Amino acid sequence: MDFYQPTSLDAALALLAADPEALPLAGGATLVAMMNADLVEPSALVSLRDVAELQTIEAAADGGFRIGAMISHAALADEARLGGGNEVVRQAAARIAHPQVRNIGTLGGAVAHGDPSSDLPAALVAADAAIEIAGPAARRVVAAENFFEDYLTTALKPGEMVSAITLPVQPEGAVGHYEKFARVHGGYATLSVAVVLAMAGGECSHVRVALGAAGATPVRVDAAEARLLGSVLDADAVRDAAAILAEASDPIDDVRGSAEYRLMLVPRLLGRALAAAEGGA
Amino acid sequence: MSDIESAIGKSPPRLEAAEKAAGQALFSGDMVLPGMLHGALLTSPYAHARILSYDASAALAHPGVKAVVTAEDITGGAIGPLVRDEYALARGKTRYIGEPVAAVAAESEAIARLAARLVEVEYEELPAVATIAEAMAEGAPLLHEDFADYFKIYPAPENGGNLMTRGEAVMGRGTDGFDEADIVVEGVYEVGAQYHAYMEPVSVLAAFAPDGRVTVWSSTQSIFRVQANLHEGLGIPMTKIRCVAARVGGGFGGKAEVSGELVAVMLARKAAAPVRLVLSRDEDMTSMRARHPGTLRVKTGAKADGTLVAREVELWFDAGAYADDSPAVLSVSLQYARGPYNIPHVHVLGHAVYTNKLRFGAFRGFGNPQASFAGESQIDELAEKLGIDPIELRIKNAIKAGDRWLGGQTITSSALGDALRAVRAASDWTRPRAAPAGCKRGLGVSAVAHTCAFLSAGAIVRLQGDGTVIVNTGAVDIGQGSDTALSQMCAAALGLDIEQVSFATPDTDSAPYNYGTVASRVTYTVGHAVHEAAMAVRAQLFDHAAAMLECAPERLELRPGGRVGVSGEPARNAEVSFADIAGRSLYAVGGPITGSGSFMTSDPLDPEHTKTSGLLDLGVLSVRSFGAQAVEVEVDEATGAVRVVEAWCAHDAGRAVNPGAIESQIHGAFTQGMGYALTEELLWEDCRLVNPSFMDYKFPGAMEAPERINAIVLETPEVSHPLGVKGVAEQPLVAAAPAINNAVSAATGLRLKRIPLTPERVLNALLAKG
Repeated sequence: MDFYQPTSLDAALALLAADPEALPLAGGATLVAMMNADLVEPSALVSLRDVAELQTIEAAADGGFRIGAMISHAALADEARLGGGNEVVRQAAARIAHPQVRNIGTLGGAVAHGDPSSDLPAALVAADAAIEIAGPAARRVVAAENFFEDYLTTALKPGEMVSAITLPVQPEGAVGHYEKFARVHGGYATLSVAVVLAMAGGECSHVRVALGAAGATPVRVDAAEARLLGSVLDADAVRDAAAILAEASDPIDDVRGSAEYRLMLVPRLLGRALAAAEGGA
Repeated sequence: MSDIESAIGKSPPRLEAAEKAAGQALFSGDMVLPGMLHGALLTSPYAHARILSYDASAALAHPGVKAVVTAEDITGGAIGPLVRDEYALARGKTRYIGEPVAAVAAESEAIARLAARLVEVEYEELPAVATIAEAMAEGAPLLHEDFADYFKIYPAPENGGNLMTRGEAVMGRGTDGFDEADIVVEGVYEVGAQYHAYMEPVSVLAAFAPDGRVTVWSSTQSIFRVQANLHEGLGIPMTKIRCVAARVGGGFGGKAEVSGELVAVMLARKAAAPVRLVLSRDEDMTSMRARHPGTLRVKTGAKADGTLVAREVELWFDAGAYADDSPAVLSVSLQYARGPYNIPHVHVLGHAVYTNKLRFGAFRGFGNPQASFAGESQIDELAEKLGIDPIELRIKNAIKAGDRWLGGQTITSSALGDALRAVRAASDWTRPRAAPAGCKRGLGVSAVAHTCAFLSAGAIVRLQGDGTVIVNTGAVDIGQGSDTALSQMCAAALGLDIEQVSFATPDTDSAPYNYGTVASRVTYTVGHAVHEAAMAVRAQLFDHAAAMLECAPERLELRPGGRVGVSGEPARNAEVSFADIAGRSLYAVGGPITGSGSFMTSDPLDPEHTKTSGLLDLGVLSVRSFGAQAVEVEVDEATGAVRVVEAWCAHDAGRAVNPGAIESQIHGAFTQGMGYALTEELLWEDCRLVNPSFMDYKFPGAMEAPERINAIVLETPEVSHPLGVKGVAEQPLVAAAPAINNAVSAATGLRLKRIPLTPERVLNALLAKG
């Protein structure tokens, strides 16, 4: 197996274009584990460690953020500028696995892997993030909601990779909250709920909700949010919204919980997530 | 003579603490020899299959491959501590998915792993049994057709099909005793399979010397069990086997018997080069051992005043594909199924059944956690029905010194009542607990007893030329701190500082026989031999000193730091140093000073007291330590998640040799018991293990452990031991699950009967209760 350590994104893309069996190596938290388990056998690894343009967090003039793909989960979790609605992404990063994994795992790697049980996909959908994709031919941007297509399947085409994530300006007064339920700290979620919420005059003026580990991709439903918008987040509204989300969910049975249990958790964790966000709003 | 015992009761740093903290400790998997090859296993993809043929040609043709071994390379017989039903590699049949079938030695681990998959094995798949019910069904496929012909050291059932063991014990009037009860409770309890999750997977390095002797460094709890298995399984005389324990990264029972050693020796022999075999975590989880899952039907009767009068237990253990320690685990489980109470009428009946799953064997608690989970949960149900406080009910019935255990052994010391009172006071038992919104809190309690004397141990203490000593026991420190504690016991007998004692590396070439680091036995059992050996050295020191000081030996006393002086004459000219004595013995009079100790546990059962059948002879297992634990839990009503808030663990160490090490044992064992109670469970789909990884199998970590596990070390000297010590390595685990379950009951009103108490099970129960 060959190993490359280019210093520019273009060089990395060229290496990937030259060998369809090569894979980009970000932190390696997941890729190396999969290689050890014989689940993937790349012909070459193209390390992104020395690609400087992937390592920055930039605050946009409008108040949003552009976060390089090689930013570690630990750095993301420590990013004090991610407040308000974008707090949901910071909280999700802080709940990924353990410190060792957060120190090596990267935002771009986690997004590109597209594991619905992992923490960032749902948070990025709730935050209405966009995924910047760099490919041999062109750069393009895909909304997070459209990026995750199926279990471990994303909008990335051969030769492409995630170069950055952009977070929009969140509505005035919005608060983000990531509610995760796992068997033990650091485990993959049995179910998670990512929320960005704004309240105005006691009523919900903005809300985006995405569920993690509830299906092959993050689950987000317009109708659920519509039911919450304008409400005072009363029990009926939360129950109805949860029912809509549960209806759209298609969780699996696995060692972390049965599908039935995950569906039971939807209203329970949604209520908790909204309450936590409202408490901070 | 407080001076001479000063090394006991202190908590010096572990002898190996610095090297472990610095990452310098040498484990088997770290060791490298010139020309060393790497081993890898090929394991069975089938739960049950006949092996028709092997073809190793492709593997052998692969560059870098030096040897392939299969059952055809086995030169000895069957192995197994209680029934010889398995071989170093699957022979004739495979009986579980993950069973080692072949192994490869190659120049690198990567090549070995790749080449192992090139070994072609032709199988004929056979019907398999995944559960006890399937195994016991009429006409079920048999795992061991020749079971009746196997060599065994226990009375096994005849014509039992897949039934490996059936044991029974009756005390008093047995089940007829329920006619004395005013209240009877009965329930069926289920327990899951727990994986040992030692930090260091099974690892071994084997190397033959030119003279044909093999040295084996391995991660084991017993160098002598390794030696015995190599002898039995490969037919190598013991004169040609040297077994050494490197540092061991945990065992918890999983390394009590042989693991990868036979395969590594076969590879080293065939490749004519040293071979190191280190299992990956998933190999360790699929190919090694776990705690017996099973079902227990328990019935307990009491008089209205709370006096327990009768208990009946029927338990079924899934034993997996090979017996390993199962018959012993079953016997011990039944021995503890009565609980630590004076129940006069008892009938316990147990079964261990072969299934096509990995081997269930020894695991911290050794059958007691299953029995105690069921029994101690039921005591709380009884307390509730009787309207008696659960701690009060336990104190009322607690077994005391002079009482007799199931089987007839007499209890020599018991701090059970003290332990229960200690946790009651420390936990502020009756104070109501406030819970956050959406949660409920409650306290639960459990009593426990466990053994600490088992089989035989020896010790040799030698005086060295500078007046220091070296103690050699063959006991392996698997991380619990026995090297330090045994050194302290040796130092105490001779008035030395611990720095003046060396602890010899466990090595069958030099150590006296020692059964193993199991059954919480090392402090009591090996400590007995160490004390005896040190006292023998002391007697010789006094003989020399008497001659050197020209006084009667009776007038002599030990002085701290390695001196013998004349009583009442503190002056320096009235004493001699150990170094002076060593010099005299080595170069002038008497010869080297060596002391030895030898101890055998012998406490025969009384067939007049308890009638038994089908059980092992448990007279070689004795001396019980007692304890109690109270636990506060918080139950999240929205998710069903149970969090342990705080624990109070009172255990009787007899006399605490190293209080710090005992506290560590309590912290570790309680947390492992918490995992057993809440999150840990190996799961199978049919016969396939579905969660053999730390991603899917979850044990508690630092974030799950409560902020405070309050270790309360009681000291009620054990009269049968010269230093009064007992072991407490296992009981904090045993008492964890029932205390947690009882706390969940106190918090929620539920009576759950199945562990682990997963959030899903708890939530479903909460919803069903309404």
